[in-house]
Amino acid sequence: MFKTIRFAFTMARRSIGRRKFRSALTILGVIIGIAAIVSLMTLGYGMRYQVETTLNEMLGAGIIISSIEGSIDIPEHVHEFVSQVPGVNASVPIVMTWVYLGDQPTMVVGIDPTEVAGLYHVTYEDGRGLESGGDDAILFASATANNLGIHVDDKVTISTGLGGTGFGGTFKVVGIIRSLGTEQMNIGCFITLEAAQEMLDKEDYVSAIMVRLDDPSQGEQVEAALKNMFPDAQVIRQEEIMSQIGQIMDIIDGVLIGLGSISLGVGALGIMNTIMMSVHERRREIGMLKAVGAERRHILFIFLSEAFLISFIGGVFGCIFGLFGVSIAQWFITFLKINITIPLIISPYILGIGLTAAISVGIVAGFFPSWTAANIRPVEALRYE
Amino acid sequence: MSNPVELRNTVKIYDLGGGVKINALRGIDLTIKKGESVSIMGPSGCGKTTLLNMIGGLDHPTDGQVIVDGIDITHMSEKKLAQIRREKIGFIFQFFNLVPMLSALENVQLPMIFAGKLSDVEIKDKAVELLRLVGLEQRMYHRPTQMSGGEQQRVAIARALANEPSIILADEPTGNVDRETGWKILRLIQNLNEILEQTYVIITHDPHIAKTSEKIFYMVDGQIYEAPPRSATTPSSHVLAEERRQLMLAELRWLKTSLVSLEKRKAKLNPESYAQVKMGYAKQLERLKEMIQEDHGKRRSI
Repeated sequence: MFKTIRFAFTMARRSIGRRKFRSALTILGVIIGIAAIVSLMTLGYGMRYQVETTLNEMLGAGIIISSIEGSIDIPEHVHEFVSQVPGVNASVPIVMTWVYLGDQPTMVVGIDPTEVAGLYHVTYEDGRGLESGGDDAILFASATANNLGIHVDDKVTISTGLGGTGFGGTFKVVGIIRSLGTEQMNIGCFITLEAAQEMLDKEDYVSAIMVRLDDPSQGEQVEAALKNMFPDAQVIRQEEIMSQIGQIMDIIDGVLIGLGSISLGVGALGIMNTIMMSVHERRREIGMLKAVGAERRHILFIFLSEAFLISFIGGVFGCIFGLFGVSIAQWFITFLKINITIPLIISPYILGIGLTAAISVGIVAGFFPSWTAANIRPVEALRYE
Repeated sequence: MSNPVELRNTVKIYDLGGGVKINALRGIDLTIKKGESVSIMGPSGCGKTTLLNMIGGLDHPTDGQVIVDGIDITHMSEKKLAQIRREKIGFIFQFFNLVPMLSALENVQLPMIFAGKLSDVEIKDKAVELLRLVGLEQRMYHRPTQMSGGEQQRVAIARALANEPSIILADEPTGNVDRETGWKILRLIQNLNEILEQTYVIITHDPHIAKTSEKIFYMVDGQIYEAPPRSATTPSSHVLAEERRQLMLAELRWLKTSLVSLEKRKAKLNPESYAQVKMGYAKQLERLKEMIQEDHGKRRSI
């Protein structure tokens, strides 16, 4: 058996080598398919990672109380009641809204400077943090700052409407945030709570109250208590948000994999075609092999290993080019100055899927032509026309 | 002791579909004894290759029996036939049929790899030995494309001997090499036959080659004879003349029909091309009529 397989691989290797150009084209077909799958999955994976970590940092709380419509209409003093609830370690009121900085949308968070340390562990790339009373100060996340070319001491104007319309104000950049907690802080900007309320004309109201728990495992009890206290508000545990985001990411992943699979399907047709042509050209050779004693399985192995080799080579290069594809996508995003960062996270799991998909598609596509080959009758050896 | 080859009333009918059937073998009875070298001669289409397919276990007969080395292979399964082919039979083909991707050495190893009975080292040693036997030890690592026709055929002979078969079947083994090389190959086959005492069945249409065998069989229309059959009768001159006359009459009818259809289409054609086509027909008609008259004259004179 081992000898048979090794012999089949020798034949397959030489057959591929003999028809270099055709084999190269077929392999290219597989490479494109696998590269598409690997790059789209890696992008999806990076996106999921980014969204989850960003949310984790921005939320920085076990439970979030917000108004149902998502507007800024929770009275600020409510957080004092929240603080009294058993199991609550601290509660921080924040204002959160989308603003435009020129024509770029970004998230602005208004927060009491003294509370920042309670929710996040912040490190600065440049400058310093917000200070109480420093209501014209603004902090930027490093990626946003890099994308928009913002430096410490710059003056920036933000507004709720595009091009300076709606509510707005001018702020002085006092610091660039490198990270919140352990992960990189990538998007958005911070101003003081008072500045935010003043800018939006919503004195004494907030959009959400972030609740930090004494013990994360008490989340459900505290949530129930808060729901009881504020039946009109939306009380969400962080895990719930994360799981909802996870579901959305699953859908995005599915769409991306589906798109990649289409090109892999085309690659599979290429393999089928190549093996079919190889079988057709070598009918007499197959007949001869049978005449000198080859059984069906010998012939089947020869052509299956050809399909295997083509798809394996395609799979390996597809994985490599797929990762290149992600780098190109990242460069493209930066080039377009889009305020999104998708990290390139090389996941062995995705590379494994890529390689497995390549090989299984190759074997499946190669099976029919190989089976045809295995059933060629030995009399073909003596047919000279 | 059983004979290497025994055919009993073997019939092979190829069904080409649409009710067309070809009787390739019409009840062959043939016994070949151990160590014999036998030639089978006959014109193309007489069923030589079909006979070889039967003896070599490449195909099943429609009726009758095929016995190889005492084993009835008539109704054997594909898998068992493959085993018979690699253990009992060695094939030598007209077009050498080497695997182009493999070296001479690897080609010779093929039947032994398929048999799977020897170790890698044994297989290689034996293949080298066989190539030495046919005088190609210098060319072991060459691919078929790097060898001459004669060398390729010697590789094929070495391959045929690999599993020490009791029967070697050769289909026009010298059909694709020049005369001198052909004789060399034949001498090699003869010597091997004497030395290894294997049974050789050689198919050829060359009487010179056939004469080198101990026994010659002749095949005509799917039947086998031990003596050269009388040449098939050529049709009498009368039959030939009648065929020719019929052909001319048919052509005449066809020309007349063409002329009628041309007249019908006259209105649609431009006058010039009409005149041209009509002229062409008229010339053909003239010629045909002359030929028919001439033929008529001849028949009278006979």
